[in-house]
Amino acid sequence: MSQTSRSLFLFCSFPRNTDFPSPRRHLPLPLSLRFQFSAKPPMLESELHDLSDDADYAASLQQGSAGVMLRSDSTKQRSPSSDRDGAEIVFLKDNVAIHPTQFASERISGRLKLIKQSSALFMTWIPYKGHSSDARLSDKDRNLYTIKAVPFTDIRSIRRHNPALGWQYIIVVLSSGLAYPPLYFYSGGVKEFLATIKQHVLLVRSAEDANVFLVNDFQNTLQRTLSSLELPRAVPLACGPSNMSGGESILNENQERVDNGVDNGSLSVSQSHGRPRHKAQDPGRDLSIQVLEKFSLVTRFARETTSQIFGENQSNGFSTNERRTPIQTNLDHPKKSSDIVENIPDESPVVLDSQEFERLSLVWGKPRQSPLCSEEWLTFLDSEGRVIDSEALRKRVFYGGLDHELRNEVWGLLLGYYSYESTYAEREFLKSVKKSEYENIKNQWKSISSAQAKRFTKFRERKGLIEKDVVRTDRSLTFYEGDDNPNVTVLRDILLTYSFYNFDLGYCQGMSDLLSPILFVMDDESEAFWCFVALMERLGPNFNRDQNGMHSQLFALSKLVELLDSPLHNYFKQHDCLNYFFCFRWILIQFKREFEFERTMRLWEVLWTHYPSEHLHLYVCVAILKRYRGKIIGEEMDFDTLLKFINELSGHIDLDATLRDAEALCICAGENGAARIPPGTPPSLPVDDGSFYAQQDEIL
Amino acid sequence: MSYAYLFKYIIIGDTGVGKSCLLLQFTDKRFQPVHDLTIGVEFGARMITIDNKPIKLQIWDTAGQESFRSITRSYYRGAAGALLVYDITRRETFNHLASWLEDARQHANANMTIMLIGNKCDLAHRRAVSTEEGEQFAKEHGLIFMEASAKTAQNVEEAFIKTAATIYKKIQDGVFDVSNESYGIKVGYGGIPGPSGGRDGPSASAGTCCS
Ligand SMILES: Nc1nc2c(ncn2[C@@H]2O[C@H](COP(=O)(O)OP(=O)(O)OP(=O)(O)O)[C@@H](O)[C@H]2O)c(=O)[nH]1
Ligand SMILES: [Mg+2]
Repeated sequence: MSQTSRSLFLFCSFPRNTDFPSPRRHLPLPLSLRFQFSAKPPMLESELHDLSDDADYAASLQQGSAGVMLRSDSTKQRSPSSDRDGAEIVFLKDNVAIHPTQFASERISGRLKLIKQSSALFMTWIPYKGHSSDARLSDKDRNLYTIKAVPFTDIRSIRRHNPALGWQYIIVVLSSGLAYPPLYFYSGGVKEFLATIKQHVLLVRSAEDANVFLVNDFQNTLQRTLSSLELPRAVPLACGPSNMSGGESILNENQERVDNGVDNGSLSVSQSHGRPRHKAQDPGRDLSIQVLEKFSLVTRFARETTSQIFGENQSNGFSTNERRTPIQTNLDHPKKSSDIVENIPDESPVVLDSQEFERLSLVWGKPRQSPLCSEEWLTFLDSEGRVIDSEALRKRVFYGGLDHELRNEVWGLLLGYYSYESTYAEREFLKSVKKSEYENIKNQWKSISSAQAKRFTKFRERKGLIEKDVVRTDRSLTFYEGDDNPNVTVLRDILLTYSFYNFDLGYCQGMSDLLSPILFVMDDESEAFWCFVALMERLGPNFNRDQNGMHSQLFALSKLVELLDSPLHNYFKQHDCLNYFFCFRWILIQFKREFEFERTMRLWEVLWTHYPSEHLHLYVCVAILKRYRGKIIGEEMDFDTLLKFINELSGHIDLDATLRDAEALCICAGENGAARIPPGTPPSLPVDDGSFYAQQDEIL
Repeated sequence: MSYAYLFKYIIIGDTGVGKSCLLLQFTDKRFQPVHDLTIGVEFGARMITIDNKPIKLQIWDTAGQESFRSITRSYYRGAAGALLVYDITRRETFNHLASWLEDARQHANANMTIMLIGNKCDLAHRRAVSTEEGEQFAKEHGLIFMEASAKTAQNVEEAFIKTAATIYKKIQDGVFDVSNESYGIKVGYGGIPGPSGGRDGPSASAGTCCS
């Protein structure tokens, strides 16, 4: 089996709306609505393959397939045994499980190991195969959860939970702020696990929470502060001295949130009634500190879905408390499940059976999907070619993108050039009508004689600029390479035609970057033009001469970072980086220079679905920044260094992981996030006052 | 690699004058006519030696297009040197020099050393700006001047190094408080550490620079 195919996934508890097989409908909460993060620390892939333990994995598969998952406790702590390549297993624990959903049948048991190689310590968790009788989860699913040799240098903290009922579990939080799903120790051993770690790496108990163990805690105060901010019960630095600790405050907090959530049916952290310690704060702070850094994310989707379910299940016999508590726990404070569990009996004397417990546990979801292929595409169409359910299509494309050969057909729909309701025939017809319309516009400049051009400075300048730029656009691609490449000429013709079609906006650098993939995909001049027109309906303001479209996006971005990562926001503020100019290129041309061509096309079709948000691109920015926040802050980057650093990320950003993060951030920010983005911020459609691109010559 | 000083440079001038090509010629010693146009800013770096001291040039190659100026201006901050480039075959790029200069004066520090470069001098047959005009402009505005070609590499090395030598001389003369990084100079190993070092420090005796 290929090691590289089993990737390391990192999970967050983002419940989300997946389609539910009907047998599950009796359950009060669709908690397998789900979601997930994956992060591959870059070094892992290249350096650490050898640490995965194939033989062991295979053995566990066999074992699992026999349907026996219980191993004797005697394996608890084997005497250190020597692995291959100088890797030494210093801790081994069987029957450590994760609970991907609330269904007991979907628990995945596996083996947890600590491995020491050279002086570095790694943690692995490899699932057994097919232990659950009805095996709902495929091996693929199972493998998604595999934790493959994560080095302790990437781990920030480990949180221990000792619930009164149920199993002990731990949550491993990575430096990125993200976390693995809880690992339940069915046969105990958390203490030994921590003790073993302590023998090999610096592990200190958090001052704020005795159940949190900081790994490699830095003496550096800033780092220390920031790490502590990531911890569940940490009080934000700026929030004054009322450093509450212990379950009571948590309970109260949960109570409040329950109330908020249920009363308002929306993500209403911002409306938290004046808890003293947050009173003077920007309401967004709550979200940032309380929720995001703890990876337990509030989701609008989840809220909506849960309230729907509430509606549907009004009469199904579940008490209000029962309904509330799981939402609370699962959506807002998964890490605090234990607290909830312990407290439930006080509120409602319902027996806490294992299913109940399961409902309280975290949920994770599926990774990004494979691209939509032709066969599946047909299932989205009726016999005449109409898209039956555009929402479903957008969702599908959002999660997986498109096979390349489908792009030609689907991009026009995503961009809004063709309507989803159009039939094959209507699209063919529109295509021919639009072709002649294009030719007409093109003729407007084609017919300019040289004598006329002499007296038409603006035209000459534009043409000159465009000609200079098309020869400097993606020329290393086969499609555009070489002298006198006809595609370069088409690029020029389309841009020049566009500058007549939208004379007020004209031509601006960056447009050729946006057009290039479109022409490559459409491979037809008129079609590419109209798709470009559709794209520019939304991105045109990026090229306004006064840069207001860019500034409004950079502003919205700063607001989102403030909401979603206030320590990073504060860092930027202190270092005079709040203009976010370092993200300028990302936004101007939709990350075109940050990813290789194929990846760019993937990203674009995902963004164009506007599925979780029209402004997903801003969440992509936040996701990337968050991914590197440790480095940015740790190295105390100033504006110059940061700009250079961000520039040099080009080609090194993991797209899939970033998209997962961005989706999670977007959903978790929910309405709070949307409220941070001023109306009309591109790519929202502009308010149509007929003069959106009016030339503002005084600014020139 | 360790350096005695690190100088931050910016390259400015109209779009298409060859800023990125000049940078690439300087850092990689090659001419690549088919690279991408610059959006925002790009970076390059190279070590040079002046007065036997290793000096690292960190070069910011900015986008030339007018509408990006509000953003590119923020890159001027803390540059020790600037290469202001025009294209000798396109008169308008020369005509715009004054506005570039104004920008630089407004947004960069006052002691920034500016080198005016008339690029593409390999295209003599298409020349639209004479050497004398370039010289004249430089003289009027107190700039150093050279014509160069990113294509043939003529004067490229010289332009970057001469700028560095001028900056180095200013350090020697105590013009900069090098401990203040807003001048675009970082002191590394073996550089003059403090503000008074230029005049009184041991390095002062090593005084002459290679220009
Ligand atoms: N013949 C000749 N051509 C040059 C020279 N330098 C640059 N070019 C050409 O001029 C064009 C523009 O050069 P760039 O370096 O991209 O221009 P730039 O100043 O960086 O432009 P922006 O990034 O848009 O601001 C390129 O296509 C080069 O082929 C030169 O010295 N001689
Ligand atoms: Mg350039």
